[in-house]
Amino acid sequence: MPDRPLELSRYCIPYTPFTGKLEEAKICLVTTASVRGKDQPPFQIDGDTSFRTLDGALPASAFTFDDDHYDHACVDRDLNCVFPVDRLAELAENRQIGGVSEKHFSMGFSQALRELREKTIPALVREVDRVRPDAVLLTGG
Amino acid sequence: MIGIPTVLITVEPEESEQARPPRALCPNGFIVGHSLGRPNDPNLQKRILMDALHLLVEPPQLGQVIIREYQ
Repeated sequence: MPDRPLELSRYCIPYTPFTGKLEEAKICLVTTASVRGKDQPPFQIDGDTSFRTLDGALPASAFTFDDDHYDHACVDRDLNCVFPVDRLAELAENRQIGGVSEKHFSMGFSQALRELREKTIPALVREVDRVRPDAVLLTGG
Repeated sequence: MIGIPTVLITVEPEESEQARPPRALCPNGFIVGHSLGRPNDPNLQKRILMDALHLLVEPPQLGQVIIREYQ
């Protein structure tokens, strides 16, 4: 794999066809809602270009978030509002999807777009690629 | 690296369209922090989630955010 940063969708739509069946697909979550495991280091609320790798076997109750940039009325009561890990587990149990990725990923709030584009996103994408999900669901805050 | 299919759930369709997502769903009327609808409403959350995931197997509408009503 080339070591240079991956380009985002400035010039084209990054479309990858989905092959296979949803009922057999392993789904990975990637969120920008500053979600982390309760035992992981907090995100810096004013700006943080790091990301957290989240254990895909854990329920939403194992996670928290560090943010003051979106409305928390929902997530204070139910983290599935931005990080639907419990719903994914239920869909897998009902065989509506094939399974849940062993890892999910979360970024924090940041306006350092260049660093995100040149460092954070390429590193995150490499981690997602190692997990080899059949599809990724992206959610914001 | 081989591409991985993605689908986005967004409550800011105008902002998201600027990034030209390959597949995107907007549950209309919900604000930021409510991408999956309402707290402790697993049926609604699963409907939105499944609608988003179904975009993976539906004909592509590249760069568009599909807006649907749930309320």
